[in-house]
Amino acid sequence: MQKDPPTRVKSTNAMSMFRRSVMWAALALIIALIFLSIYGAFIGPERAQQFFNSLPLAVYWIAFILLLIVGMVIFRKFISVPALLLIHAGCLLVLAGAVWSSEAGHELQKKLFGIDRVPKGQMVVFEQSYEDRVTLEGTEQVRKLPFRIKLKDFRIDYYKPGYLLVQSRKGKTFRFVAEIGKEYFLGDDLGALKIVRAFENFKIRIEEDGNVPYDDTGPGDNPALEVQIITPTGQTKTRYVFALSPGHIHRDVEPVLRYYRPIRDYVSELQIIEDDKVVVEKDIEVNHPLYYGGYHFYQYSYDDQAGQYTVLMVVSDTGLNAVYLGYLLLCGGVFWHFWLRDIFAAIKAKSL
Amino acid sequence: MEIKYTIQGLLIYVAIAAYLSAFTETILRRQKAGQFLFAFGFIVAAGAYAYRWHNVGHMPLQNLFEVFLCLGAICYPVSLLCRRFLRVGGQWADMLIAAIVLFPAGFVFSAELRQLPPALQSPLFVPHVAVYALSYIFMAKAASQAILQLAGITPSANENLLNPEQATYRMVCVGFPLLTLGLVLGSCWGKLAWGDYWGWDPKELWSLASWLVYVGYFHFRYMFGKKHPRINSAWAVVGMAVIIITLLWVNLSKFFPGLHSYAI
Repeated sequence: MQKDPPTRVKSTNAMSMFRRSVMWAALALIIALIFLSIYGAFIGPERAQQFFNSLPLAVYWIAFILLLIVGMVIFRKFISVPALLLIHAGCLLVLAGAVWSSEAGHELQKKLFGIDRVPKGQMVVFEQSYEDRVTLEGTEQVRKLPFRIKLKDFRIDYYKPGYLLVQSRKGKTFRFVAEIGKEYFLGDDLGALKIVRAFENFKIRIEEDGNVPYDDTGPGDNPALEVQIITPTGQTKTRYVFALSPGHIHRDVEPVLRYYRPIRDYVSELQIIEDDKVVVEKDIEVNHPLYYGGYHFYQYSYDDQAGQYTVLMVVSDTGLNAVYLGYLLLCGGVFWHFWLRDIFAAIKAKSL
Repeated sequence: MEIKYTIQGLLIYVAIAAYLSAFTETILRRQKAGQFLFAFGFIVAAGAYAYRWHNVGHMPLQNLFEVFLCLGAICYPVSLLCRRFLRVGGQWADMLIAAIVLFPAGFVFSAELRQLPPALQSPLFVPHVAVYALSYIFMAKAASQAILQLAGITPSANENLLNPEQATYRMVCVGFPLLTLGLVLGSCWGKLAWGDYWGWDPKELWSLASWLVYVGYFHFRYMFGKKHPRINSAWAVVGMAVIIITLLWVNLSKFFPGLHSYAI
């Protein structure tokens, strides 16, 4: 049935009012999120995470998602300008994916679909041993994965050569590349020093004419430098500086020396074992996680005393595809809307 | 204050001097000399950046010194692009911006060479930072146009340039996709390196806040068009202020300990 003209005008006005209200609500939510983000930045990552996952903020996120859906339905511009639709659909997917991948999202999946996955946690794996237990993040609760992980080896790679850090008693500091044979002048009051030798695994052998340091090729790790200090009076003294025991300082002489080796990477050589078979094998590093069975395994921490175990972070991939698809739509949308439309229009105008 | 008695430092100081001279010449209406000095400053700044690149062995965007050096080098091409193709003027402001962004590289931040820590050894490192650096220059240009609008300064009719309000909008339109891409690339990188695409880190939250200011700008401008040009301009200025906080304060202040602290 066709509406009579005054009713149509009335409904058009009502719709226009509704659209305007939605825009105002969107602007209010955006401004609120600006202030919430700034507040979150001041309270630190852990508290910010709790804050943004709290009940009032859950209400906020739901309102945001609903407003995006309502906006996409009521604004005709989204049909005439598809790039805008992509941008808003992208934001919607990112938010939906984030909600789905949250702890609450995992709980919901368990209740609705019986999918029971470990959302996020850490696992400690010792060298040459197997592990399937994950300690859930922020709790002491332990869950088991449906497969086991074996750590073949854990190692730390260093940049070579390292650095010799020098500090005078007056607080003057120097940083020298630890190149063998290099001599560095520290000043008239401090003299000079020369890097004589570098050890990967420093050990001492006791012989008749005294202690003899040597580089042991056997197991162990004790990097050190042999440094010759040349005092302003011309006297020379030999000192050994150890990377793993920075507290080992010769306080009787100036200056204080430290051997520093910048870390290039942390590497865990992993195997995934399922039904007593190795199904995946990978050396994981920072930026190179292992993916298996719906979980990502990240190099998280390690045994900084003896280097005998690694700590992996285990993260479920639930909701991740939605977030990535959202990113793709968002980026595609903004470049299409703000760049490509104008570029194509300019090319078209030129060709006419 | 850290004065650099090195070739690197010398190149930066020459570039700053050239940019400031270009600014002065342009203000004094000696356009040709201003243009020449701006181009010369760019060549020297690009040389300083190339020299750094050669020294570190990878694209230098690791810390604030290198980021500001990069910003100082890209001001000129951005300015040229905006004038030639986007009808956005204000080159004298670009010259000043170029000198300002090079100042911290020359006098504040350490130029000490450092190896890349494990987290930065990612193929996403360079695109993430480079895209952000480029977007920041466009947004700085947007803010300079917004300030001109607030001050009531318009280009002369024979210059065939957009008025400051429209120029601000155009600059934000160019910079916003880059800002979005920077945020998204950072998020993807965070997922690869730390296991989370969003870690609630202060830098991430300030980046989100700066992105949202421009989102707010677009929504406000969609609602009211050019009816409130001063409020439109205020959005762009606030956006730039939040970007400065994101870039500098978050990394330097003890208020914001987080995953991005290596970037000092």
